[in-house]
Formats: sequence, structure tokens, C-alpha cells
Amino acid sequence: MKVEPLLYGDRKVYTVAAFNRGVASWLQRLPTIWVEGEVTELRRQAAWQTVFFTLKDPDGGACLRAAMPRSQFDALRLDLRNGERVHVYGRPELWEQKAELRLRALSIERFGIGEHLAALERLKAQLAAEGLFAEERKRPLPRLPRRIGLVTGNDAAAKRDVLTAIQSRFPPARVLVAETYVQGPRAAAEMVAALEAVCAAPEVDVVVLARGGGSFEDLLPFSDERLVRAVAGCPVPVVTAVGHEQDTPLCDLAADRRASTPSAAGRLVVPDVDELLAGLSRARAGLARGARRTLELHALRLAQRHERLRRAPALLVERRRAALAEAGGRLRALSPRGTLDRGYAIVRRDGELVRSATSVVAGDAIAVEVADGSFGARVE
Amino acid sequence: MTYEEAEKELVRIVERLERGDASLDEALGLWERGEELYRFCAAQLAAAEGKIEELAKRVDAARPAG
Repeated sequence: MKVEPLLYGDRKVYTVAAFNRGVASWLQRLPTIWVEGEVTELRRQAAWQTVFFTLKDPDGGACLRAAMPRSQFDALRLDLRNGERVHVYGRPELWEQKAELRLRALSIERFGIGEHLAALERLKAQLAAEGLFAEERKRPLPRLPRRIGLVTGNDAAAKRDVLTAIQSRFPPARVLVAETYVQGPRAAAEMVAALEAVCAAPEVDVVVLARGGGSFEDLLPFSDERLVRAVAGCPVPVVTAVGHEQDTPLCDLAADRRASTPSAAGRLVVPDVDELLAGLSRARAGLARGARRTLELHALRLAQRHERLRRAPALLVERRRAALAEAGGRLRALSPRGTLDRGYAIVRRDGELVRSATSVVAGDAIAVEVADGSFGARVE
Repeated sequence: MTYEEAEKELVRIVERLERGDASLDEALGLWERGEELYRFCAAQLAAAEGKIEELAKRVDAARPAG
């Protein structure tokens, strides 16, 4: 619908009705959407054609008026009461007479704890199917983080518990705390931002996400898909400690470790300083022992070498003597002496060996050598 | 160097020394390196007080949705 201004010279001026109509027609271009809120100020009267109610955020208190034709409302058979959580499908419209914005409800669904749980179960199944909770995704926690990130509420006992546990177990620990909303409609986005902020800080090796106990609804942000994905995608390991033992928000499933309490989370992320010191002095003792052992082994080897060196000359003489004796024995075995000893004789004529009977004639003077001497003889 | 890296190297050095098969020069070098690593680790643990830092408070910083 075209809104026509009045003209006063150059100035365009609208009547209130025209302005309202203009805004109303602009609002009609907005899409139809789902809005979640608590029902308050529900007014349904048999005489009225329309049912009115106000939708309210349970935490922030933001309000939105809503209206639905009574016949449609009755057909839903919701039997709605003030204080109930609903999802309303509708589009914004302006009640032109009063320039009041309201939601024109096309459909209303009750969204109680049961529906919440069902929605959570669907999300859990979907994220599990994506492998976000898989055991093989879990990373080991660093034994000694250079710096620990802590994302927690601003007045939280949880914060104190984590810090106390960390400092008593490991006094030199360095912790970077990011305080944030931990409940309410803004909590999930704020926690994601806080998580990213601590991870972006230098030397942060592990992050703790902690919150004390609370109602089912208080803990809902810890099952928010954005936070669950942020925990799973965190560049460093995440330890969660949310609510009580029996609560299992989805971020617990995506975390690398889940602690039953904030104190337990604190103890998980740092080592016991006394144990570390004991291990360190054991290592140092080993160092001294090892160095001494190496030295002793070298000294022993040196002593053995020295002893062999000292014995070397005597050994050498002994070896020579034995070799000599053996050579002498072999020499004796080869010499004619041994043959003469066995009764043989060497015959010479004019100093020449007589090797053949034909080389002498009767009357020749010969010399006969036997073992113990020689004598002359004459051939017959 | 992180504490864990230093500790791991220290343990390796101790094992090497305890085998006794290093040369004397090597053993001396290992021992000196080991003492250095020990001092590094001990200093990290001896830091008297840890540090708690607060990231800029986010609680009051309203963020537009989406």
C-alpha cells in the first residue's frame, strides 16, 4: 500500500496513520520465523476474536507481545498456562492504531523439558554421527602446561575451586582466566568467544571449562551446538567440569577429558610438584651415578691394558725361546749327526764323499766318520 | 624448551651414561648437559608463585547476536 505524504513546499509530512501504515507494510516483508519464550499475560476471553499473550525470555526479561485468532488458538488444544515455555511460529506485525509491534502467531508448540530433552537427544545423535565424541579424537593432556586457560562464570565458586586445586598441587602454575556468562541466552556465544580468546593467548597448552551445579536449564548453554563444536575444535585439549556428576551436557562428550568437579579439573591439568621434584632428583642422582660408572669402566679398562703392557716383554722373550727350541729340534732331526748316531758312517776319499762302490779301487785310503769320531781305512 | 622436553632429554642422558659405553669426552659432555637440564627443570618448579591473569572481562561487553 502506497503511503502518500502531505507536501508543505519541499517538506514531505506524514500523518500518524500513514506513518504507521508505512511501517506496518515494511514489517510485512520480514520473514516468518520461530521464537522461543515463556508465556505471560495470557488473555483469552470468549468475547474476543483474538487471544493475546506476551513472550518473555526467562533470563534476560526481554518481552514480545503476541496475538493469535481465538479459533486457531483453541484448535491447538494446548491448554497453555502462564510460565510455560513455547515455540511460536509467526511474523512481526504492527498494530497500526497504537503503533504496537507484536508477533502474529500462526502456530504455537509447547517446549517443555521433555521437548528440550528430545531436541538435545537429536543434537547428540547428530554430533555423535559426525564423530565429534569419538574416543580417538581425545587428546592427552600436557603433563606440565606452560599456561592454563580457564573459562568460567564471573562470580563462580567453580573458578575458585579450580584455582585452589591448581595452586595447591602445582604452585608455579600460570593461569589465564576468562570470565564469561555461563547461563542465559548469551552464554553459549560468550563462552565460545572466551574459549577462542584464551586459546589465542600465547603458551596456553590446555583449557578448563568450569561451572558449578545448576538447574537443567542453567546448564543448557553447555549443550549448545556452537559450544560443543568449539570444544571439539579447540586447538588445545579441553577439560570440562560442568554441573554435578550426574549432569552430562554435550560439551562433556566433546571434551578431551571430563572432570567430575571443578577441583578435579584443576588436579587433572597440573602435575604434583612434589612428585616432579622427586623424579627430578632421582634423575640427577642417576646422572652422577652414570658419570661415575662410565669413569670406573674406563679406569678398569685402562688398568687391564696397563697390566698387559707390563707383561708384554717377558711374554715376548718366552715366545722367542720356545720358537728357538723348536727350531733347534727340527735342525737336529735334519742333521747327519742323527744318522751317525744310529750307526751309519760317512766315507770320504781325499775329502770327497764316497757315494758309489765304483768310485773307489782296492788300495785307496779312505776316511770313515762315525758318531763319536773318525778313523782311516784302506779299501780291499 | 618446555619442561617435558628437558625432562625427556635428561632421562635419555641418564640412560646413556648408565650404560657406560660413552667415551670419556662424551660422558663429560653428557654429564654437563644433564646438569644444565636439571637446573632448567628445577628452576621451573622452584618459581615461588604462579600467576593468575584475567583476560579482559567479557561479561559486560554486549555482543550482537549472530
